[in-house]
Amino acid sequence: MHVSESARAASAAESRFRIDVPIAPARAARVVALDERAASVARRLAERPWAHARFYTGGAADGLLHELDGTATPLEEALTGSDVVVVLATEDGGRATAAAIGRICGRRGITTAGVVLGDGFEADDAIAALRPYARVLLLSADESDTLELLTALRV
Amino acid sequence: MGELFRQYWIPALLAEELPENDCPPVRVKLLSERMVAFRDSEGRYGLVDEFCAHRGASLWFGRNEGSGLRCPYHGWKYDVTGQCVEVPSEADNSSFCQNVQLTSYPLVKIGDVLWTYMGDAATQPPLPEFEWIHVPAEQTYTSKRWQQCNWLQAFEGGIDSSHVTFLHSGGLKTDPLFRGAKGNEYNMNDTKPFFEVADSDGGLFVGARRNAEEGKYYWRITPYVMPAFTMVPPRGDHPVHGHFWVPIDDENCWTYSFDYHPVRALTETERQAMIDGHGVHSKNIPGTYRPVANMDNDYLIDREAQKRGETYSGVAGIAMQDASLQESMGPIVDRTKERLVPADSGIIKARQKLRKAAVALRDEGVTPPGVDPEHHRVRSAAVVLPQAESFLDSCRDAVKVTPGVPQTTV
Repeated sequence: MHVSESARAASAAESRFRIDVPIAPARAARVVALDERAASVARRLAERPWAHARFYTGGAADGLLHELDGTATPLEEALTGSDVVVVLATEDGGRATAAAIGRICGRRGITTAGVVLGDGFEADDAIAALRPYARVLLLSADESDTLELLTALRV
Repeated sequence: MGELFRQYWIPALLAEELPENDCPPVRVKLLSERMVAFRDSEGRYGLVDEFCAHRGASLWFGRNEGSGLRCPYHGWKYDVTGQCVEVPSEADNSSFCQNVQLTSYPLVKIGDVLWTYMGDAATQPPLPEFEWIHVPAEQTYTSKRWQQCNWLQAFEGGIDSSHVTFLHSGGLKTDPLFRGAKGNEYNMNDTKPFFEVADSDGGLFVGARRNAEEGKYYWRITPYVMPAFTMVPPRGDHPVHGHFWVPIDDENCWTYSFDYHPVRALTETERQAMIDGHGVHSKNIPGTYRPVANMDNDYLIDREAQKRGETYSGVAGIAMQDASLQESMGPIVDRTKERLVPADSGIIKARQKLRKAAVALRDEGVTPPGVDPEHHRVRSAAVVLPQAESFLDSCRDAVKVTPGVPQTTV
């Protein structure tokens, strides 16, 4: 016998009655590796079963992203339909692409997350490149951090 | 995870619970083990198995006298190490009691807290060195409250900066331990902070940045020291606060909440506000550590106060605003039903660190982060920086304990 509605509702017994339906993956994610070392991480991650995530490499300031099979896609087009962009970087070579992604995401209301892989001065440069645009920045991260983030976001 | 907690010194109870030599013993349940704590005739603290080795009677009924705790059933007596020192039914000079020892753990007073270490004695680490327990007594205050849910869902609130702007918005304007700080204006003016999460030696630093004046960001830096210690970034010259969550069992935890000032005594007004349950503290039912507002009375929710804008959720007080929602998730929240977002990266990362540490301990015997007392010497900070500056580079000194130096705050 519980003495209040809250006490009853918070009990283990009542927890069993939470509506149990599968969570449909809702995030249409784009994962963009901005440099070669980040791309190798992206390639390994892409081998896992994801719901809607699409993986790209970028970094050259040509306005194009490349799918992992090499297919080139204009940046604007690649981000169409996305609601979260996760950018991976180990150094600042992709600064221009990060800025371009940031501008498009800002305009379209797409959430951005940056993952800076590794540490040291190159990573510092990557942080500086991503900071203005990433709603969330994971610093001194490794491949498992990226995996955890994408898994938690149910992409 | 229990084995992980057994690598650390953790708060067992407040020193005020054993106020004098030979005072009544106190029941203590931690990490799903039932114990009693007592303070013997010489002022030594003991934390031992709650039940007498003879017939299993609770030693909470014990007579604390003559440098030991005596079971009132048949008179068996134990010292603070759990060693049985008298079995009256045995012959004089019998060696029987030498072979009777209750499980016991060290219990050490540092600051306002009695700390215990429940792991292998061979790997007992040095004592904790958190700043809040080492400043002079007049500069610090600690409270605790029973929280009716798993420790992890309670702890996760401590590294979840994005809820403050909503759930605690009333408190920023009115709470005597929060109000008036310049930083509050930045908080209220920018409800969509950006986050950066970085590893530290002992856990994490979570930086939340909001827009400040032109070309500048307001940063709030929250340290997390494993397994369950966090500090809230300071506001103005208010005392600095934080929490340590300790599992009682899988479905209950203790929340220890503290306030301290690194360089000055707390004022009478500040201390009274803490006792009255303002700031991060709760007003508890006298003689207990259960909050007055609790699940049995629907947390005294006041929908009219909510409508008037005094509170965001209708529940009064920062502590119970958090606890009410964390307890509402159920005793152990089902995380398979969560929908996390990038702003939850601190929580995602903390879970990963805990799991990695638990696995490394189990498989390779690796000492987890946060055991080394050097990892305890961290501070939270609040600072306004030019937009180009990194919060960790710029605040390297601000997030370290430097005795005699005030906190970095806005």
